[in-house]
Amino acid sequence: MDREFRDLVRYHLPDFPIRRIGRLVRDTTDFTSIGYGDVIALGDNHYMVFRDEAERRFGLEDFKFWVKRCKCLETGEPAILKLVFHEEFTQQIGPMKIRSFRSETKEARILDLVRNDPRFMHGFSLLDDAGNLVRVIEIIRGKQMDTIIEDLPGDHLEYFKTKLHEMLTLFITACEAIDFLHDNGERHGDIRRDHLWMETRTGIMRWIDFDYAYEAHANPFALDLFGLGNSLLFVVGKQVFTPPLYKDMEGANNIIPEDFSLIFKNRLVNLRRLFPYIPKELNTVLMHFAAEAEIYYDSVEEFLDDLRPCLAHLPKA
Amino acid sequence: MDFKKILLAVDESENAMRAVDYVGRIVSDGTSFQVQLLCIERLPHRDLYPDEDTWKKACEVARSDMKAFMNKARDRLVKLDVPDSAISEQYVTSCISPFTDTAPKCSRGTSVAHEILEALKAGGFGTVVVGRRGVSKAEEFLFGSVSNKIIHSAKDCTVWVVS
Repeated sequence: MDREFRDLVRYHLPDFPIRRIGRLVRDTTDFTSIGYGDVIALGDNHYMVFRDEAERRFGLEDFKFWVKRCKCLETGEPAILKLVFHEEFTQQIGPMKIRSFRSETKEARILDLVRNDPRFMHGFSLLDDAGNLVRVIEIIRGKQMDTIIEDLPGDHLEYFKTKLHEMLTLFITACEAIDFLHDNGERHGDIRRDHLWMETRTGIMRWIDFDYAYEAHANPFALDLFGLGNSLLFVVGKQVFTPPLYKDMEGANNIIPEDFSLIFKNRLVNLRRLFPYIPKELNTVLMHFAAEAEIYYDSVEEFLDDLRPCLAHLPKA
Repeated sequence: MDFKKILLAVDESENAMRAVDYVGRIVSDGTSFQVQLLCIERLPHRDLYPDEDTWKKACEVARSDMKAFMNKARDRLVKLDVPDSAISEQYVTSCISPFTDTAPKCSRGTSVAHEILEALKAGGFGTVVVGRRGVSKAEEFLFGSVSNKIIHSAKDCTVWVVS
C-alpha cells in the first residue's frame, strides 16, 4: 500500500523529492497534522499538499490550517482543499458581537447552487473516509478587487473621471450575484472587499469563501448588505477615509459625526464632503449606511434599484 | 377594521411577556375583545451545528421553550381576567426544521415582521401588538427590528409597541 502510494506520487510528480513524500491521508479530521508532502485521498483522486493557505489582514499573515493548497495528482490541476473545521467564534463588527460559525455544509450547498455561475468561485464537495465534507475549490487566477482599485494610478478626481464607471459597473454585477444567493435563501456570510476577485482571463468579478454562518432572525440578509455597503464605500472613494487620512484635505472641516459609518465610527461615508463632484444620487446610496440614516435597505434588490441609475451620472472614460 | 380583534405576536422573550401583560390589563375590563397569541417559530439554522443530531436537539429545545411560553402567556392573560374563550393561539412552524410537520403554512424565516403582517391580514385583525427590545440604530441595522418593520409596514390597523 505504502509503496503503491509512493509510486503514484513518483509517477505523477516525478520531480517531487522522494524523501519529502509524507502520509496518505484518508481521514482529514486532524487537519493540523496534515502538511507538506502528505497526500489526501478523496473519491478517485489524490491531492498532494503543499502548504496551508493564509489570508493577509492588517499586514499580518493569518494562516488557515484547515485550508490546504494542493495539486491533484491525476489531473495535474492545482486545487484548494477546505477541510472540516466547525468553529464557533465571535465576529466583532464595530461595537457589536455576532455569534458566528464555520459551516462546511453551507459552503458545499452554495458550491452546488453556483456550479454554473461564473460570478462565484467554483468547486465541489466529497466525503473523506471519516465522513468529513471536504470542499475542493478551483483556484481563481486574478486579483482582489480592492488591490486593483488601490493600485490604479492618479488621485481621486482622475479615478472618478476615468475608472469609477467601469468599477461600479463591475461591482453591480457582484451585487447581483449576492441578490441571486438571497433569492435562493442563502447568505454569503462574509462579504468583504478582499473576498471579491477579478479573474484575469475573463474580467469577471467572483465571490469567494461562503462558509460563514451566523445567527440572525429579524433581518437575515442585513450582514451581507452591510458588507456590500462597505465595499461600495471603497469602490467610490478608491480607499477608506478615516480622520488621519483626510485631516488636511479640502472639505474636511465640514465633516460632522452623522457623516460617518453607522457601525464604524471613524469611517467617513459622506464622501461628497471631500469630493463634491460625486453625484448626489450615488452619495445618497452611501448615506444609507451612515450614522444619520433613518431608513436602511432591506434587500439587495432595493440597494441595486438605487445604485444602477447612478451609473448614468458618472463620466465614462 | 375591528380593533377589538387583537393579534399579539410573541417570542419567548421578556419583552413579549411585557406585551402580554399590557394586553391583559387593557382588555380585561372590556367585553367583546378577542386575543390571538401568535408565535412565528424561529429555530436555529442547520448551518450552525456540526451534525444533524445536535441540530435536532437544539430545535427540540427551542420548540419546547416557545410552546411553553405560549402556555405561560395564555395563563397570564386568564389571570388578568381575559376570558379563556376569548383567547386563541396560532403557532406557525418553521419551514426549515428537522421535524416532519404537516402544517398547511410554515415560516420561511426571512422576515418575522412580514409573516406577522400576513397573519394580521389573513385573520382580519384590527390591532397588532409586539414587544420591543429597545435596540440601538446599529443593532437595528445589523440584526433587524421586528417592531420597527411593523411600524413602517403595517396598514389599516392599530399598532401597539410595548417596550
